[in-house]
Amino acid sequence: MTELDIGRTASLDRGPMPKPPTMAQHLRAAWVDVSIGLIDWRVWLLLGMNDIRQRYRRSRLGQFWITLAMATTIVSLGLLYAFLLHQPLEQYLPYLGTSFVVWGLLSGIVLDACSVFIASEGFLRQVPMPKSVFVHRMLVRNVVTFLHNLIIVPPLFIIFGIPPSWTWLAALAGLVLFLLNGIWIGLFLGTICARFRDMPQTMASVMQIAYFLTPVMWQRTLLPPKYRHMAELNPFQAFLSIVRDPLLGQMPPIISWEVAGVVTIVGFAVTAIFFSRFRARIIYWL
Amino acid sequence: MASILLDRVTVDFPIYNAKKRSLKSELIRRTVGGHIEAIDDNHVSVMALRDVSLTLHDGDRLGLIGHNGAGKSTLLRVLSGVYEPPIGRAVIDGRVSSLTDMMMGMDAEATGYENILLRSVFLGLSVKQAQANIAEIEDFTELGNFLKLPMRTYSTGMMVRLAFAISTAVTPEILIMDELVGAGDAAFIDKATARLNGLLDRTRILILASHNLELLRRLCNKAALMEEGRLRMIGPVDEVLAVYSGHA
Repeated sequence: MTELDIGRTASLDRGPMPKPPTMAQHLRAAWVDVSIGLIDWRVWLLLGMNDIRQRYRRSRLGQFWITLAMATTIVSLGLLYAFLLHQPLEQYLPYLGTSFVVWGLLSGIVLDACSVFIASEGFLRQVPMPKSVFVHRMLVRNVVTFLHNLIIVPPLFIIFGIPPSWTWLAALAGLVLFLLNGIWIGLFLGTICARFRDMPQTMASVMQIAYFLTPVMWQRTLLPPKYRHMAELNPFQAFLSIVRDPLLGQMPPIISWEVAGVVTIVGFAVTAIFFSRFRARIIYWL
Repeated sequence: MASILLDRVTVDFPIYNAKKRSLKSELIRRTVGGHIEAIDDNHVSVMALRDVSLTLHDGDRLGLIGHNGAGKSTLLRVLSGVYEPPIGRAVIDGRVSSLTDMMMGMDAEATGYENILLRSVFLGLSVKQAQANIAEIEDFTELGNFLKLPMRTYSTGMMVRLAFAISTAVTPEILIMDELVGAGDAAFIDKATARLNGLLDRTRILILASHNLELLRRLCNKAALMEEGRLRMIGPVDEVLAVYSGHA
């Protein structure tokens, strides 16, 4: 054992410099992160549920504030816009109600995705947990909120006489497909936003514009026929319509499923490479 | 079998915000340890670890010493797997528990029971394993019905006792600590010490960063001296501590 001169010698028994990891190793590490993250479902379920509990603790109405806030918005905007857009209330209100509830989930996930890693800084810096756990936790949080909002839909349907339909199963399929997309959205936006802190702000603006450009409050049929395709190519519209339309008893246009399918495949492909490459760097950006 | 291998690990932190020039001069004036270097015209980076190599095996109790800013915390985070080194290689084989922050993951608004689960999850336990520990933690903390109440109703002593009980209920293969954890409560100190010793015995590899040399001599068989992000010396605890004391 000899004392080393720190000026010249960096370390004991130095060997050759280890090679940096290859892309294949990056991909494998990312896969381990995501798969272990999924296996630990009780962990993210616990954390996600606690997020909701924490937000509404000590309030009398608790998490039903979510429901109440959404119901108030739907009724007030519904009455106003039925009047402004000259729509019959008995059609417009159920449309707007389901639209809002589904859009709430969509935009909630996209916006929340931006802060998955930033907001988990305290944990990520202390424990080597799979990063995907925090994405799933974010999804749990948003699904719980969505389920509370969904309570509004049955009364709307009963009041305005929208019958139960087999198409509800298609809505469930659409919902599952969207949540699946939530995984890559969380990994992708979470990583980008950790590095570029202007991104969360940018995404907030993007979602604001998307809200007006997507047929959330207005119906696609209000567009002149030659512009309808443009609306249908909007990925937000695609995901909105594969959940909302079947809830209202209509099958969504095929193009919506096609767009949603393409977004899923491209999204996962891009994220696989992107997240693999930068997963290990995230912690240094926090 | 647990083992840790660091092979020429270098860790640097890119700093993207703020103007390079002003920030650089600011940092140079302030930092105690880590080196600041300009990567290129637009980036400043703080080098926290430089070319560190070491191996640890079952039975190793490594004490980590060095001045503030010498890279101890960064090294602990590399050893726990939190920082994957951008340069060099780190292979950590074994289940790691990091007791750097005993309260991490706990929520003052949640009940004692909820906190047992929340805290355990961040110690690397599954929810099932955490539930299995509940009875034992109830017993150790003697908090009784308080466990059903939100943690904000606890006294500081009670809170520490709970955090300590949960944090030491794990059986990791690799245990990482930044200063020794403890439950300050005077009446409790013997019980806590016994429990901590049990944990230290069960763990295969212990890494303890501390400024308390007496403690390191007692608990560790090896020591590593960090200086300006470099591993200056690693070896038997007495030899390394002697160099450190003579130097400091």
